[in-house]
Amino acid sequence: MMTCHYFRTNLQPGNADAAMLEHLRHCDACLDFAMSVDPDLFFRSLGGEDLIPPGGIDAFVGDVMSQVRVHDAEASLAPRHNVSAWQRWAIAATVAAGVTGATLAYRYEHPAPRVTQTLLSVQASAKPRPTATATKSFVETYSSHDATIVEMPNDGSDTKVVMIFDDKLPADL
Amino acid sequence: MAAEVLRMIPTKETVELDDRQLVEQIRQGDDGAFETLIRRKTSKVYGLCYRVIGNGEDAKDISQLVFLKLWENLEKYDATYAFDTWLYRMVTNVAIDFMRSKQSRDNAVNSNLRLVKTSVDPEQTVTVARKEVESVFNAVSNVLSPKQKTIFVMSEMEDLRSSEIAKVLGCRESTVRNHLFNARKLMQTQLRKRFPEYARLWEESR
Repeated sequence: MMTCHYFRTNLQPGNADAAMLEHLRHCDACLDFAMSVDPDLFFRSLGGEDLIPPGGIDAFVGDVMSQVRVHDAEASLAPRHNVSAWQRWAIAATVAAGVTGATLAYRYEHPAPRVTQTLLSVQASAKPRPTATATKSFVETYSSHDATIVEMPNDGSDTKVVMIFDDKLPADL
Repeated sequence: MAAEVLRMIPTKETVELDDRQLVEQIRQGDDGAFETLIRRKTSKVYGLCYRVIGNGEDAKDISQLVFLKLWENLEKYDATYAFDTWLYRMVTNVAIDFMRSKQSRDNAVNSNLRLVKTSVDPEQTVTVARKEVESVFNAVSNVLSPKQKTIFVMSEMEDLRSSEIAKVLGCRESTVRNHLFNARKLMQTQLRKRFPEYARLWEESR
């Protein structure tokens, strides 16, 4: 163990080796002196000692070991997934290939006629239908005492637009 | 004579296995080896946690969590690297995570403490006592980030070299030195602000 005299004689700023620190950390009398030589030693005086957790090492070790046992028990109860990721992918791919193959084989053996009929009917319905061009009766002359006849101004063409307002006119006209 | 010979044969208790050998035994399912490893490393793990966290009960909980993680991840340990570096890395990761979550909760409390402490008379004469240094450290180190504090503790109190700390944290040595420089500067500023009686000793010696 280093003496206080040796410590104080040899301590230099920024140069505290392990033995110097060892002395500093165990000697309160030299702490003040060390501070006056090198202030960075203020916090370096801490540390170096073996710290024991509250309750002692035995209790601490016991706690950790019991937690480890609980952890192991939980792990053994949990469902095991022994299949690796690539094995899972391989299984999924096999199942998918099987389902697709079975579907294709079934369709090959049992062709579905309804599908053809439906297609034909769809094609038939897709053809353009003839549109009705004249649905209403054509009036060439009209005479009535109660009617109001409005003739639209003509812009020089042959077409004449005439509007007739009469309560007695048939509804489908 | 026979007794003499028997005494010379090493038994399980007398043979001191190193860390790597213990890990190998644990991997083979030897729970007793794990118990031995915990006993061997408790002081180291708890000490670092305590310095970084500053509270005995929290440090104990975090240390237990570290050993539990150690148990879970032992398969991942690469024996080509030093066991202590791997262990320290685990401790710092868990402790820094804890500090980060704690720091956000404690910000309001710390600001109140700062007001109380600045009322000390800077002219009073001071004799530094070790217990006080510890409480001063706990008070002023709150300004450091969790990473800065961890580096400061590993360097100043655990006496690890910058290169070793860099290995533990998985960063460059220059980064460690940078963090350390900033941490010291922040600590000095805080000491002047909150504990001027200690800072005076500091100033006088400069």
